[in-house]
Amino acid sequence: MSSLKENMEKLKLYREHNIRYSREITQVWNETISSNIDNLGKEKHIILEQVCIAAIDCYQLKIAEKCIHELYKEFPNSSRIRILESMYHEADENFNRALQILNDIVKKDITNSAARKRKIAICKALGRNTEAIKELVEYLKIFMADVEAWQELSELYISEHEYSKAAFCVEELILHNPHNHLLHQRYADIRYSQGGMENIELARTYYNQSYKLNPKNIRALYGSYLTTTALLNSQKVSGKKKDAAVKVVDWCLKEIKKRYSEVKVSEIEESLSALEI
Amino acid sequence: MPATFIHRSILTVGFLSLFHAAYSAAQHRSYLRLNDLDFTHLPLDIFIQTLISLFIIMYGVLQVAGDFKEIKASADLEDRTWETYRNIPSFYTFSHRGGKCSQLASKSGLEEIE
Repeated sequence: MSSLKENMEKLKLYREHNIRYSREITQVWNETISSNIDNLGKEKHIILEQVCIAAIDCYQLKIAEKCIHELYKEFPNSSRIRILESMYHEADENFNRALQILNDIVKKDITNSAARKRKIAICKALGRNTEAIKELVEYLKIFMADVEAWQELSELYISEHEYSKAAFCVEELILHNPHNHLLHQRYADIRYSQGGMENIELARTYYNQSYKLNPKNIRALYGSYLTTTALLNSQKVSGKKKDAAVKVVDWCLKEIKKRYSEVKVSEIEESLSALEI
Repeated sequence: MPATFIHRSILTVGFLSLFHAAYSAAQHRSYLRLNDLDFTHLPLDIFIQTLISLFIIMYGVLQVAGDFKEIKASADLEDRTWETYRNIPSFYTFSHRGGKCSQLASKSGLEEIE
């Protein structure tokens, strides 16, 4: 029984941190949970949903079917499970059937945001990115506070190389969550990819802010090193600014080296040998 | 740190003691009223009992309430990485290699080839 508890903890950790370890989740299901569905207690339904999505992700449709069946037994009219069912059809590449289910849900309940999001995901799965963007923009006009949607929109824009629009989405995300170092770093990444002196200057500021929020963020540190060197190499920088920039570059390099010297060599060798396979 | 039985009982004892002090204070007031005396101050023993039980309760609550959070607003996010942060469950798509890689699919595929 103790291993069941351990596994439940593991699943909870995955849920809370948004980790998509679908194969691990289905493994856990096969090992312990499938024979103990009734012992899960309060978390039963949420675990079933999690396993169902993971199983769909791994194309283990039998497991997914079982989960959906279990859930339908208790909530015969729930739209949340209808969405799971549509995801099942999606994995089976039966997109029309999936869309039909989603459309039904939206027709019945126009405020159901999850179903609308799935429709956008289907557009994405079919490779129609521009259509997905259009739908997502429409969606955001209604549900403006949906952080996930803003994030998804920025990713879609990046895949279409529309960096300035992607940057706008990340700005919106920063407004929602100003203490998140990852968003500052992301914004800087986008600005840096955009290029141009002004954007690199902006990127540097955001990398610095990200590093300030979380001194463990080595990507931000390296980003500020890269942007500062880029600024140094440009012609426009005047003498005084140049001196300061040189100092910053030196400091960044020193800090990065220090951080890498703290990592054990054996760990690096291990990951390198993993690469060679 | 999970709350142990000892901490819970400390908290209970604290509350009982505080309740007792309050009851004694009420008793003292009714004693004064019966003897037609004016209220000047609480007797010292009730006062001390109240203070001590307050401290006991404070200690108990601190132990029972669980771990404190870091005061920095970004502390929770420090160990998050972009890989998990960018992963958005409601926009999962399933048109990826997962299906082809899964054991079931590969098995049936092999059988077909054979």
